[in-house]
Amino acid sequence: MKRMTKVATAVAMTLPLALIMSGCTSDTGPSEADDNTLTVWAWDPNFNIYALQEAEKIYQQDHPDFKLDIVETPWDDLQTKLTTLAQSQETSELPDIFLMQNNAFQKNVINYPDLFSDFSDSSVDYSQFPQAVADYSTIDGVNYGIPFDSGTAVQALRTDVLTEAGYTVADFTDITWDDFVTKAKDVLAKTGKPLLSGQAGSSDMIMMMLQSAGASLFDADGTPTIADNDALEAAIDTYIELVDAGIFIEVNSWDEYIGTFVNGSVAGTIQGVWIVGSIQTAADQSGKWAITDLPKLDGVSGATNYSANGGSSWAVSSNANVELAQDFLASTFAGSTALYDTILPKSGAVANWTPAGASDVYAQPSEFFGGQPIFADVVAFGADVPSNNTGAYYYEARDAVSAAITKIIGGADAKEALAEAQSTVEFAMG
Amino acid sequence: MSALTTTPGGRGGSSDARDLKRRWLGTDRRHNLTGWAFLLPAALLIVLVSFVPMIQAFILSLQTGRGTRLEFADPLWYNYQRLLGDEIFKQTLGNTLIYLVIQVPIMLILAMVLANLLNNPNLRFKAFWRTAIFLPCAVSLVSYSLVFRTMFANDGFVNDVLTTFGGQPVNWLGEADTARFVLILGLLWRWTGYNMIFFLAGLQNIDRSTLEAARVDGANALQVFWRVTVPQLRPIILLTAIMSTNGTLQLFDESWALTRGGPAYASMSVSHYLYEVSFQRNPNFGYGAALAYVILILVAVLAFIQMKVGDKRG
Repeated sequence: MKRMTKVATAVAMTLPLALIMSGCTSDTGPSEADDNTLTVWAWDPNFNIYALQEAEKIYQQDHPDFKLDIVETPWDDLQTKLTTLAQSQETSELPDIFLMQNNAFQKNVINYPDLFSDFSDSSVDYSQFPQAVADYSTIDGVNYGIPFDSGTAVQALRTDVLTEAGYTVADFTDITWDDFVTKAKDVLAKTGKPLLSGQAGSSDMIMMMLQSAGASLFDADGTPTIADNDALEAAIDTYIELVDAGIFIEVNSWDEYIGTFVNGSVAGTIQGVWIVGSIQTAADQSGKWAITDLPKLDGVSGATNYSANGGSSWAVSSNANVELAQDFLASTFAGSTALYDTILPKSGAVANWTPAGASDVYAQPSEFFGGQPIFADVVAFGADVPSNNTGAYYYEARDAVSAAITKIIGGADAKEALAEAQSTVEFAMG
Repeated sequence: MSALTTTPGGRGGSSDARDLKRRWLGTDRRHNLTGWAFLLPAALLIVLVSFVPMIQAFILSLQTGRGTRLEFADPLWYNYQRLLGDEIFKQTLGNTLIYLVIQVPIMLILAMVLANLLNNPNLRFKAFWRTAIFLPCAVSLVSYSLVFRTMFANDGFVNDVLTTFGGQPVNWLGEADTARFVLILGLLWRWTGYNMIFFLAGLQNIDRSTLEAARVDGANALQVFWRVTVPQLRPIILLTAIMSTNGTLQLFDESWALTRGGPAYASMSVSHYLYEVSFQRNPNFGYGAALAYVILILVAVLAFIQMKVGDKRG
């Protein structure tokens, strides 16, 4: 018995230690495992990841041993991961390539330059990208990213619902917001369906309205221009009118928002053209949609019918197999019309890469959208989108404006709420 | 030499050396040293893993700068000064204190009442009731927050029930007061069972004769509960109060998963704001560390007050 307890004790002492030791495996960095494999972090399986899979196939035509290891990472998680890795200086955990929202590019490069490899030695020809879009990922004259999809905003509408109320898409093209409100109220009265929806407390809609008038939350020097911003006040007034009239339904999460038009409770949406991928998941609505431009703000000088929301660019990390990653990106996203031709119809990925825009695929009619050549239309819209100033504090400003909007809807005075938002942003800027 | 020949028990100067040796390695001392030897590894670990990071965090709270390029602020307490002017911080502090003041007392009283009910020897299916009330604690914080979020969504279960009974749907998560209410409800649902178990254990230690004596003296159930049971539960009440205060002041999961900070920061807690400042906005880890220290000071002060008031041992 004594010997048994001795053996048992010995085992009990060593077992935990052995288990702990086995848990401490050394990490194999992403580029260590295989010289022909690249790791990518990106979000949206229907859009970005789909594009990556197609790009992999194209690159494999010339490089049969190539493999792409795609890790689906939602944007919020991606941003916090990057911050954590950079702050703890664990850049060995970075993937080879990651996708980044254009609006967040400046912020990340300025705060954490250690995360990135720049493109100065690559074969990418930046003259093939529109200046305004490449500027998002250019800091101090150095390029840190390859622009991917354009965030040109579109107004997508259910043609069958409009017909029921006695309207056509042409009635919603090149109009003003006042006009839109009148017609949308009519549609609501006759069919019971609102035309717009969005996340409560998110300022996407207002940002699009603001950019359509050529205005921004910052001026060219990076000073916040939230208070005393006529275009912003006009945008907020219009938004509140939409919500009060029941034309714009506010929901509490992104999934709910997608659900509103996919299950038909809302008959349209205004969003970046990348929303087309999600709209098309509702196969039963095929042939019943159409695309047009946005209404413009009334009484604001410089107002247009065009805007943008989102859009992202590919970045190569500092921990990457830089040569392979840059060659892959240069050959596919900055060098292959075949890629853009493939991904365009299914996901709505409208390229910023100019040679891609010249392709025939863009002029092809889309069955889901009732035969309209939507992508040719979107590229045409894209040319007229006014540019905006973002800078490093863009997200702080967006959050502050979102908070102000919530307060204004709750009854606060608009000027006061915006002044408060301005001081919040100035505070956050240090 | 002569020390060796002294009679045992002799207290002469010649036996001082042996006495000294005996006292140095005396039983008391040896027990103390053995105790320390056992405690030392764990103590060292705690110092390394808890206290050293605490000091590092304090030093971090004195620094400012972007990303990894931090340097000491000028003046040193710049971050704390900044805190005083931060409107959002004040809002989140207010929210957290609201949760503390409303949720903790209700939860503790509820837990006490439930424990008392469950302690009744005549109650049937005791094991079932105990399990049912304790089960919410076994659920992951994120899971239940997400389920509550879905339940209280505009087209969620709760609004469905309300409209079936002829009421109006309420925008639970879209308005400040109702968002906080939903959060408090979630907290009550989850943590009451946990505290109830503590009280149940405490009730086992109460002598039934005191209760019977009180009943014989003519007290009704409420008076027995309030004047006999509760005073004897004092140490447990102190324990649960301090733990609940600590937990509520550091609230994060519900604020993040249930309301996402609510409409315009209306239901955000200080820890959630800390996360936002450190990871979501332009990262300012020095400022985040200062926020963390504010929470620490609040918890320490409140725990101290509670101990002073509640602990009879002084």
